[in-house]
Amino acid sequence: MSPEPQDTQPVDTRRVDAREKVTGAALYATDLHPDQLAHATLATATIGRGRIAELDVSAAAAVPGVLLVLSHLDHLDLQSPGFVMGGGYGVQSLQPLLDDRIAYRGQAIALVVAETLTAATEAANLVRARYETEPFAATLDSPGVERLSQPATIPLPFLADLDVGDAESAYATAALHVDATYDQPAQHQNPMELIGATVSWRGDTLVVHEGTQNAGAIRHGLAQQLGIDAANVEVISPYTGGGFGQKNSLQIHIGPLALAARRLGRPVKLVVSRAQLFHHTSFRPASRHRIRLGADEHGRMVAAIHEVEHQTSRHDLFPLMYTEITSRLYGIRDFRGRQTFARMDTQSPGFMRAPFEHPAAFAFESAVDELAYAAHRDPLEFRLANDTTVDPVSGEPFSSRHLAQCLRRGAKRFGWSARQQRPASMRAEDGSLVGWGVAVGAYPASIVPSAAHLVAGADGRIRVEVDGHEMGQGIRSTIAILVAENLGIGVHDVDIVVGDTRVATQHLTAGSWGTASTLGAVHAALRALREQLGMDTRGPVDVASAVRATGRDQVEARAETLGPGQTEQDAEHARKGLPTLSGPEFPGYSTFSWIAHFVEVRVEPTTCRIRVPRVVSVADCGRVASPVTAASQVRGGIVWGIGASLREAGAVDPRYGGFLNNSLEEYPVPVNADIGTLDVDFIGEPDLRFHPVGVKGLGEVSMVGVAAAVANAVFHATGVRHRRLPIRIEDVLAGTTA
Amino acid sequence: MAATASTAAGSAHELDLACTVNGEPVRLRVDTRESLLDVLRERLGVTGPKKGCDHGQCGACTVHLDGRRVVSCLTPAVQVTGADVTTVEGVAGPDGELHPLQQAFIDHDALQCGYCTPGQIMSGLACLAEGHAGDDDEVREYMSGNLCRCGAYAGIVAAVRAVAEQGR
Repeated sequence: MSPEPQDTQPVDTRRVDAREKVTGAALYATDLHPDQLAHATLATATIGRGRIAELDVSAAAAVPGVLLVLSHLDHLDLQSPGFVMGGGYGVQSLQPLLDDRIAYRGQAIALVVAETLTAATEAANLVRARYETEPFAATLDSPGVERLSQPATIPLPFLADLDVGDAESAYATAALHVDATYDQPAQHQNPMELIGATVSWRGDTLVVHEGTQNAGAIRHGLAQQLGIDAANVEVISPYTGGGFGQKNSLQIHIGPLALAARRLGRPVKLVVSRAQLFHHTSFRPASRHRIRLGADEHGRMVAAIHEVEHQTSRHDLFPLMYTEITSRLYGIRDFRGRQTFARMDTQSPGFMRAPFEHPAAFAFESAVDELAYAAHRDPLEFRLANDTTVDPVSGEPFSSRHLAQCLRRGAKRFGWSARQQRPASMRAEDGSLVGWGVAVGAYPASIVPSAAHLVAGADGRIRVEVDGHEMGQGIRSTIAILVAENLGIGVHDVDIVVGDTRVATQHLTAGSWGTASTLGAVHAALRALREQLGMDTRGPVDVASAVRATGRDQVEARAETLGPGQTEQDAEHARKGLPTLSGPEFPGYSTFSWIAHFVEVRVEPTTCRIRVPRVVSVADCGRVASPVTAASQVRGGIVWGIGASLREAGAVDPRYGGFLNNSLEEYPVPVNADIGTLDVDFIGEPDLRFHPVGVKGLGEVSMVGVAAAVANAVFHATGVRHRRLPIRIEDVLAGTTA
Repeated sequence: MAATASTAAGSAHELDLACTVNGEPVRLRVDTRESLLDVLRERLGVTGPKKGCDHGQCGACTVHLDGRRVVSCLTPAVQVTGADVTTVEGVAGPDGELHPLQQAFIDHDALQCGYCTPGQIMSGLACLAEGHAGDDDEVREYMSGNLCRCGAYAGIVAAVRAVAEQGR
């Protein structure tokens, strides 16, 4: 499937950094323990909103071994980093520890630094605060929530309302209707690697080790916060222990850590506790979706209206981009989208895997299922009948859309033809109710400015220094495979440096643009390298001989690439550590990745426990750049979808604010025994219109639609429709006994 | 201000710890409040065991204590006196030759970000030694103390099962 076929042995497609990971040799940011290391901990606020009337750190400071307690009493010389979605760098614009205001429960009120972690932990527990409390709002239904229309608040084109045709009229005159509201709770990314950093100064240079998806934002954000030159900030993040959007910007602890390290003249390490993480950084905002769908008497969908609100903080506006995919899933001519902020007293929410697309697809694909049943049609056949080859919003074709093929192939693998349409009509041998559900997903394909630097050595090795971060998605593998296939060398002859501001600009790696963007830059650099080596544009290269023939020890090549419609201005923006918000603009087409999921659930009739014994998912992500890691990405996305649909919700007590269930015990994520057989396949058609190597995004689309397929399967099993996630035993019990 | 003695603030009580870590003898004075995980990571520089929750809920810190799997975050360091502690760093052969389970993790892509992997490997070895790898469902059950947020569960089951089959 390579666009440049080679006459070489197939490359080893196993994950290239797996050996380091199975031996414990991979060093994550807080695995470092430099000489003279001091340990930091945080004390946090216990009210929902208000101000600190009195802060007493004397008991904390008196603990033997305590070196420093930083709080607003110290008048820290630190600026706001700005909000990553508001022209800044931070996970939120509010930098704690600067004044006495408490904007949300769990906000940091003091940073304690001590000789040992034990002393720092003891001391943080001795920080005492007296508060003046104020009323607050913590859920979508709380009094005091401020609602703002998105386009009226942020008049940017990509956040505008969607109005295609006249959806209200088309809906009013449709033969069949669905009008339903779906609720998505707040959720927490909970990567296994706790958020944390090891920070030190080397002379005037600040050195930050933190697992991140955005070393560039940390670098430039710290420069802004501390008033220093970005050239004096190094951010190093070779391994990130899972990100899922939570590690996509500058966290609130790094600035204070830098001040502490400077004051002490020692390296300082902080590992934020799991309990504190639920309030320390971003989360998926709660959202509520009203979906209205209309179909004609033949079951052709003619109108869709998607109105959505989601929570954001008082201090930042985390944008809503839910209707971008719901307007494209089907060939619905008349579409209306409305998106509304609901401001309340929490830390700023942010990105969590498939941030908008997962909740949007849960709502929309549940509604489509309801409409299919209203039309007495098989949900698979109903979806196929409403497929489109044209983007109904722009009227232009998709650069590639093999969604119908995903559905057909998935149905065959799943054995969908044996399904009985009537709910609660299928039973397993043990008496469990069996439900089969289907749903589709989409995710916009994107490219951001990227840069790659290749060094070919006389020893035949290729060093790749590149813009990109490794969070487990396998970016090292995709790069190694591309270089190995291109030059006809082994994947282990390729050394890859990622997540390091010392070697390349480090743009945010997120939004499933990492592979397309990074591979585009590496691909361009490979061409330049071949030119430097005097080689043909294709065919195997004896790298060692070719380098020696130049008379040099090594040969270098660089490339900087942009997405379509992006300019040098965007590249400059990226070099400043800011996310690319303009483009890509594709001439005459639009590009999305697509996926179809088929889910079997079994509902045990007495306890109503829901199990998911098998899932079949077929993705159209263009060319599959790295088959092993790609399949793992999709399986991971399915696991996330199962967690989202059956387990995960940040529980809020409106009396106290904050999240009550701030542990992995009370915020259950899927465990091994929750996951059955996951059958993953790819269409594998390169999208060369979109990308020189033919890849689209994969990590996010993998999850999109899974929750709807689960919910649709639960409906099929029980005959009861659940419109609020997660679907728990008590929900099914209530439904079946009602 | 070194933290050595107990104080009015109710802090450190220290005791001597003697054990082996990956075969190497270790003698250390530890705070009685220190977990085995923190001692391994912060005092001995053995960072294979990872901190994912510090509450025994995620399994990333799993190590072997005299061959038995424990979550090192819930194991007081003083308690391991006289014991042999094995972490993921002690699993491969002396010349770096991978254990078959480590190789199986690579072959079945039983990992993504790698952060939970040291704990998964240690639990996987125990799962095999305990005789709890008879079929996929049994492996799923006995590996459920180790969370993997990337969702590499299918690969983990396949890797443990592959080694179980080799051992037959």
